[in-house]
Formats: sequence, structure tokens, C-alpha cells
Amino acid sequence: MMIGLEIHVQLPTASKMFCSCPTTDAEAPNTHVCPICLGMPGTKPVLNKKAVECGIKLAKMLNCEIPDIMWFARKTYFYPDMSKGVQVTQYEKTVGSKGVYLLHGKKPIGITKIQLEEDPGKTKRVGDQSSLVDYNRAGTPLTEIVTDPDFSSPAEAREFLKQLITDIRHTIDLPGDGERSIRCDCNISIGKERVEVKNVTGLRNVERALTFEAIRQTKILKAGGKVDRETRRFDEERGVTISVRKKEYESDYGYINEPDLGVFHIGEMVRSISIKESPVNMAIRISREYGIDEKTAGQIVSTSVNLAKTFEAIAEATGSPQKAVSWTTGAISANWKAFEAAGKDPAGIVRITKRFADGDITDIEADIELKAYMTGSDIGTIKEQSAGLDQIVGDYLDSHPEIIDEIKKNEKAINRVIGHVMKETGGRYSSSDIVSATKGALASRL
Amino acid sequence: MKDILASLPGLNDKYSMFSCIAEDADLGDSKFLFSAEDGLTSKDMMTRCGSKMLDGHRPVFDAAAIEKMRAAGGKLIGKCNMDEFGFGSFGTNSAYGIPKNPFDLERSCGGSAGGSACAAAAIDGHVSLGASTGGSICCPASFCGVYGLVPTYGRVSRYGLVDCGNSLDKVGLISSDPELLARFLPVISGKDPREPTSCAQPELELKGERIGSVGVPEEQLEGVSKDVLSCFESSLDVLRGMGVEVKMIKMPSLKYALSTCFIISAAESSTNLASFVGMRYGQQEGDLSMRFDDYFTYFRTKYIGEEARQRILYGTYIRMAGLRERYYVKALRVRLHIIESYKKAFAEHDAILTPTMPFVSPKFEEIAKMTSDESYGIDRLACPPDVAGMPHISVPCGYDGSGMPIGMQLVTDHWKEDPLITFAKDWGKAFDVRRPEVSL
Amino acid sequence: MDRMIMERVAKAAHFALNEEEIERYCKDFDELFNRLNMIDGAPEGEGHGVNPLEVGDVLRDDVPGIFFDPYELLKDMKTYENYVRGPRVL
Repeated sequence: MMIGLEIHVQLPTASKMFCSCPTTDAEAPNTHVCPICLGMPGTKPVLNKKAVECGIKLAKMLNCEIPDIMWFARKTYFYPDMSKGVQVTQYEKTVGSKGVYLLHGKKPIGITKIQLEEDPGKTKRVGDQSSLVDYNRAGTPLTEIVTDPDFSSPAEAREFLKQLITDIRHTIDLPGDGERSIRCDCNISIGKERVEVKNVTGLRNVERALTFEAIRQTKILKAGGKVDRETRRFDEERGVTISVRKKEYESDYGYINEPDLGVFHIGEMVRSISIKESPVNMAIRISREYGIDEKTAGQIVSTSVNLAKTFEAIAEATGSPQKAVSWTTGAISANWKAFEAAGKDPAGIVRITKRFADGDITDIEADIELKAYMTGSDIGTIKEQSAGLDQIVGDYLDSHPEIIDEIKKNEKAINRVIGHVMKETGGRYSSSDIVSATKGALASRL
Repeated sequence: MKDILASLPGLNDKYSMFSCIAEDADLGDSKFLFSAEDGLTSKDMMTRCGSKMLDGHRPVFDAAAIEKMRAAGGKLIGKCNMDEFGFGSFGTNSAYGIPKNPFDLERSCGGSAGGSACAAAAIDGHVSLGASTGGSICCPASFCGVYGLVPTYGRVSRYGLVDCGNSLDKVGLISSDPELLARFLPVISGKDPREPTSCAQPELELKGERIGSVGVPEEQLEGVSKDVLSCFESSLDVLRGMGVEVKMIKMPSLKYALSTCFIISAAESSTNLASFVGMRYGQQEGDLSMRFDDYFTYFRTKYIGEEARQRILYGTYIRMAGLRERYYVKALRVRLHIIESYKKAFAEHDAILTPTMPFVSPKFEEIAKMTSDESYGIDRLACPPDVAGMPHISVPCGYDGSGMPIGMQLVTDHWKEDPLITFAKDWGKAFDVRRPEVSL
Repeated sequence: MDRMIMERVAKAAHFALNEEEIERYCKDFDELFNRLNMIDGAPEGEGHGVNPLEVGDVLRDDVPGIFFDPYELLKDMKTYENYVRGPRVL
């Protein structure tokens, strides 16, 4: 089974790709239109800078090769909502190509290319009399991301899409509920001929459409039939794909250059644009760079990207990623909320852990200093509280030695210690403090 | 100016230069009159590009060149007949009348901007806006015995020009008076943020730079009619008399210009014309209950004329996978070679000079009998600078035995319109331009 | 020129050709492309060739604005409840 996806993402620009019409929702059909997006004779396109920037960011995110110079192409295509009879897209020099994107940080998915293009309008199908066309969407900037046929199952394609959308949102600040503005063409072949299911929206529907197609094609082939090379659409309600037309040969799109826009030397732009590392990529990188397990790296990043950055700083400063993990997942995580609320500098955290690593202070002292620094409380009070807490925890463990073994088997058993302390002290200590006190006590007993 | 306005209907009955005449005869504060090829959009007059497909089309905006002429005090008196969408060399492919040559009504004005050249020849002190893709201004200027100026690609904003070949099209000027070219080129030039290709230009400066030397590519003189050749040769003597050095040179690359031009313009125009489907503007009489492919096919078959249809078919074929490399992509590369060879020639000479057309304007009855071989080669002299995006001008340089005008064409390097304008003004003083007898 | 190819070209370009036209165009195509084939061996220049001279980096800032009355734009179109009416797509 070969599955590849073509993902269309509407870019978060305020105006359209080649004209200044707003991209926001319009109050009525054909009100966010002008002679350019209506394809009136004599109009010329002028490219939106932000669309190019978004394209470059996504090309970087997908680890694509980005050319120093790019230009646009005209794809000839007759349809009522294609106002010019031509879609301006990219063909020879696209904003990115030959990229690779890791699914779950492991499986590389090839990115054939990423191109900038304009969205057509929308056609309402209304029976036999005519169609009704709304050109408000015509000219909305899109990127089309084309993957290699690297997916082995519909579920994998869905997983990929889920991860990709999270990353795209983060990279180009794509606002909330944008799943509907991300559309997918799904290519699937069980035998030789490839079928394209056009315009599927939503993760679940992508998986449903592909699954339906896989079964349909398998049945045809088993019965000795031949799968037609064609374009189909997905009926969301019935969960089936329906033939739209026999696939037009790509040759009939007749791509040529778009001279009206000229060319774009994007090398300088590419160098000046840095993208925010996506959470997924950051977790993968941290896991590899510091040799810690992926799950832990993922946990740190998902708590906060800044926490992950602090982790990196500690690992650099102390030279011990393992210690950095235990500090980061322990005391630092425990006090992170208060720390962020207070808006303090992570450099202070790094200094304290560094002093511990250099042997200037003990782990208990470091723990107290961290808490004082991160929450802005007085060291004396913390020491007192902490001493009291250590005492209670120590006494409890002494009287219930079986818990120590349980905790070694399953960390969740610490909950029993938490419950005990909370009950004894009327909730004076936070659960995170109790956890670190327990871990401290366990460590000293080993 | 009032007299001219009043005479327009009569003039048009006789010459058919206009597809549309200004309805309002009020001059207001107008300082001058001008006309424009119907491929330029105008708010107050229909814009139909010589095509039935665009009948009834009233644009909501003026083309940049028309807008600027109006802002300078011009009154648009009419939209000029043209070969449909710019396809043709004789002006015979228009749905709204075939312009007749003011020197001989039985002869063609040339094309595609035939109506503009006709108006420039028939109306005193008139200037007309035209567009050139592959000889479309210089051909009719030569046939009608007037000056035709095609500026560098991008010098004049193409905003509002209905595209033929987007990488070839240029807006230019036609007039019997070279001083008017000098006056109005600065008016219509300049960067336009609505049209990217206009934004590459350095500022236009008319400083009176002169052409000191011209190169005449001798291969281009082959197959030129006897009348045109002898007239061209005596013009070379006039030039020498003006102190211009004349040298015969070789430019073998120019023989590829016609095919290159044909391929690029067919490929590009066939995509531009994909927008004409009987929706949104122009002719829309069809039955919408037809399926869209059938509806579009019905419209295009019915309303697009023969020549334009053929070019679209050629262009569609040329763009197909497997062929686009051989024709389209190759033509783009050959164009680069033609540009390089011009640049090389300009290292030695200020301008390249040839006759504009290989013969004088033919009679309509001769045109009807032309074989495709004969009509195919007609723009081979006029189109090379158009392919290269170089500025060029056709100036009248003589008349044959029957009094039909002959023109010669000068080409300069990109952005060097100044020496062409200076030359035209000098030439206007040295050469006695005949005006046709216009009686109503 | 193969008439099958001619039919495909006409279909792509959306023209209905009758028998006589297909035959005639096939002949015209052959004649024309015999001439155009002269560029096969033509020398080539350097560059991308998008425009005959360099048009580079013309971009607009992402600022929305409406400069034409949208209702004026629709005045010559066939419309229904502000939708543009087009041919059937089903």
C-alpha cells in the first residue's frame, strides 16, 4: 500500500495572495472581491510578502532545500470558481523541495515539495439549473505540502497529519480551530493505479477516506478487476468515496512561468527568517543531543518550552544531562508555575544547580535555594518547613518500610506518602514538596 | 479639437479605425485628444479587444496608460480596432470593423494595432496608445506611414492591458508627429505598484542623447521587396548625411526571433484566454444548465474567432508535457540568446537598423489569397526587438511607386528610449513625411 | 499530427471542432511545426528567462483594503443572492 498526502494550508495573512482583499469571513458572498481576484481582464497580481515568509518558515520546518531564487507558474484549469481559468502556483522553482519530516521522531517522511499558490473560489452545487459561485475565497494564500508516498497505513497518515498540524500552527502562528482550513488530497494505490481523493477535511476523515479506498481497491483487485486512475471525493456523511472524474493527465495543465510577478531572490529572506523550533522537533532534538529518553524529553517540552530551554542551560552548565533531568523534573518542575508567574530569570536556576555540581552546596541546600529563588520566599522559612517535612516523611518511611519497595517498583506509590503528610499537616506542604522530600529520603537510604 | 470630435463618426465610416467612439462631445478642460487600442481597459467605453467574446464588457477601471493620459489633460476620443486579442498582422481579425489604410482604402493598416495607426495617420496632431507583442505597433505604423514607438518591456505599466503574451507585451505610442512621442512617453512611463514588471525600471530621462552609429544586420535584408530595399538604402545615405555611422553587421540569432516569439506568445496567450468562458463579464448569453465543460466549450467555440482559436490550440499543444521542453522551455532559452546577441551588438553600435516590414501594405484581396508561408514571415523584421524586450521605433522613410509608405525600425538597448526619441525628432526634420489626403 | 492528439488539444482548450476543422488543423499544425522546429538546434543563453529583463522582488505588504465597491463589480454578472451564477458542476 502506498499512501501520500497533499496538504493545503491557508496561510494566516490579513490580505489575499495577489490583491489586498481581506481574508477574514465576509458578511455576504462576493463582498471580499476585487477585479484581480475576480480575474477581470487587464488586472495584474502583486505578491503578498507575508505569504512568502510563511512559505519559507514552513519549508524550514520541513527541512526542505530552499532555492536562492523562485518564481511562480500558471496552471491552466477550467472550472467556474477558478476566476482566471488559471491558478497561479509554483512548478519549476518552488519555495521548498526534498525535505524530510520525522514522524514521532523516528520515521522519516519525505517531503516532495512545498509550494505557494492561490485558493480558488467556492462553488455551491445546486441541482440542475446552474452553479452558484462565491469568489470570497479566491486568491487566499495557500501552501501545498506534498509528501512522498511514505505512509504504510491510513492510521499512520492520520498520525502524521496530527503532528504536522501542531507543528504548522506553532511555526506560522496559525490561529485556533484551523483544522477546516487545512485540506488534504489523499493519494492511495494498492495496485498500480493511483487514486486521488480530493479535498478531505479533518484528521478523522482522512483516515476514513483512506481506509475506505484501501478496502475498495483491494476488493476490486481480488476480484480480478482493474482500479481506474481517477479523482474521487469523500462523502463525509456516508463515509464513502465517489468518482468525480477520470484523472486528467497532468500534461494538460500546461504549466508555464508567470511573468506578471517576476522572480524572487529569497536567499536573504531565508537567512534572516529563523523559525521557532516546534515542540515536536525540540523534544526529538533534546532526546538525541542529551541522550535522554524521548518520553522524558517530551514531558519536559510539553510542560513548557522555556522549562526545556532551562534544562538545556543546566545540562550545558553542569555537564551532566542526567542530573539536569532530575533537577528539571524534580524541584524545578515543582516550582515552575510560581516561577513563571513571578517572571524571574532562569539564569538564577542555572547558577544554583551549577553551585551544586561544583560541590559548593549539598543537594538539600540546592533544593531549598531553588525553591526560595523560584517562589521568592525566605530561605529561613523554607528550611524550617523543609526540616519539618523531612522529619515527617522520614518517620513515616521508618514506620512503613514496605512503601520504600513499592515506590521502587512504581513511583505512583509516593501518593501514599503524600496522602499521609497532607492528613497529618492539614495540607501545609505542597504535593511536589512532599515528592521531592520523599525522593531525597529514599536516595539517602540507598 | 471640436472639429475633430465632430468629424469622428464620418471618419470612422470611411476608415473603421474605431470600435467605439466617445459619446460625449464635451471637451471640458481637455488639453489634447488621444485614442487607445481596444486592448486597454477604459471605464467610459467598452473594452472588447476586437472579440465578440467581450461584447458588452465595461471595465470598472482605466488602464494605467489611459489613466495617466487623462490625468495629463487628455480626452479619450475612441477605442481603436485591433486584431482579436492581438492576433494578426493586417487588422483583419476584428469583430468590430477592419481599419482601412488612409493612403489607399483597399489596403490594410497592418496589425494588431491597425486602428491606432489608422487614427494616427488620418487625424492631425493625434496620438494613439497601442500595444505590441511581436511587431504589433511597428507593423501598422510602417504600413500607415507614421511613427510607432515601443518602449522597453516594463517601461509603461501594463495595468489594464488585456494580456496577450505577458512576457512580451508593451504599451506604446503611435503618431504622425515625433514631437508627440517625446511629449507623451514621459507621461505614460513610470513605476506602478499595481504592476510588478513596471517596477524594474530606472527613471526615464530624455536628455537628447543621439545615435552616432547603427548596425544593419545584413541577413535581415534577404527577401525584402525591391521597393522597400531601395528606399531603405537611400535612407542609409540620409543617415550618413546626418553624421550617423552605418555599418553592415551579422546577427544570425535574429532568424530565430519569429519562431521564438510565436511559441512564447502562443503559450502565454492560451493561458490568458482561458479566462474567457462566458461568465463574469462580456458575452454571457448561454444556458447555465449545461455542464460547465460543455458550457465553456460552447462559448469559446462560438465567440472566439478563427485566428485566436488557432493560436490557443497551438499554445495549448506547446504547453503539453513532453512538448513544453522542446518548444516552450527551448524558446525561453533562445530568447536569452537573442538578448545576448543584441547586447553584444550594442557594444559596437548605438542602434540596430532594419526595414520595419519586408513589403508595403498589401491589398485586402491579396491578403485573402496569401499562403500561410507568406503571411507567417511578415513580422520577421518587426518582432525581434519585441522578443528581446528592447525599445524600438518605426519611422516613415519613403514611399513606393504607388505612394504607399515604407518604414524603417531602430532598436536600442533596454531602457534607452532617449536616443530613439531624439532620433525621431531629428528624422522628422530631415525627412519629409507625407500625410494622406483625408476627405470626407 | 495525429487526430487523436488534435482532439485532446481541443478538449483541453475547450473548443468543439467538426471533422473538417480537425482535418484542416492537423494539416496547419504540421506546416507550422515544421517551421517552428528550426529552433531545435538554436543556441541558448544564460538565465531563467521568466522575463526578457530582470523583474525581481516586487512584493506588497500584507495590508487589507477594499478599493472597489463589490456590488458595482457584480453589476454585469448573472447573480442570485449575491452569488455569481455559473454553469452546472454536478
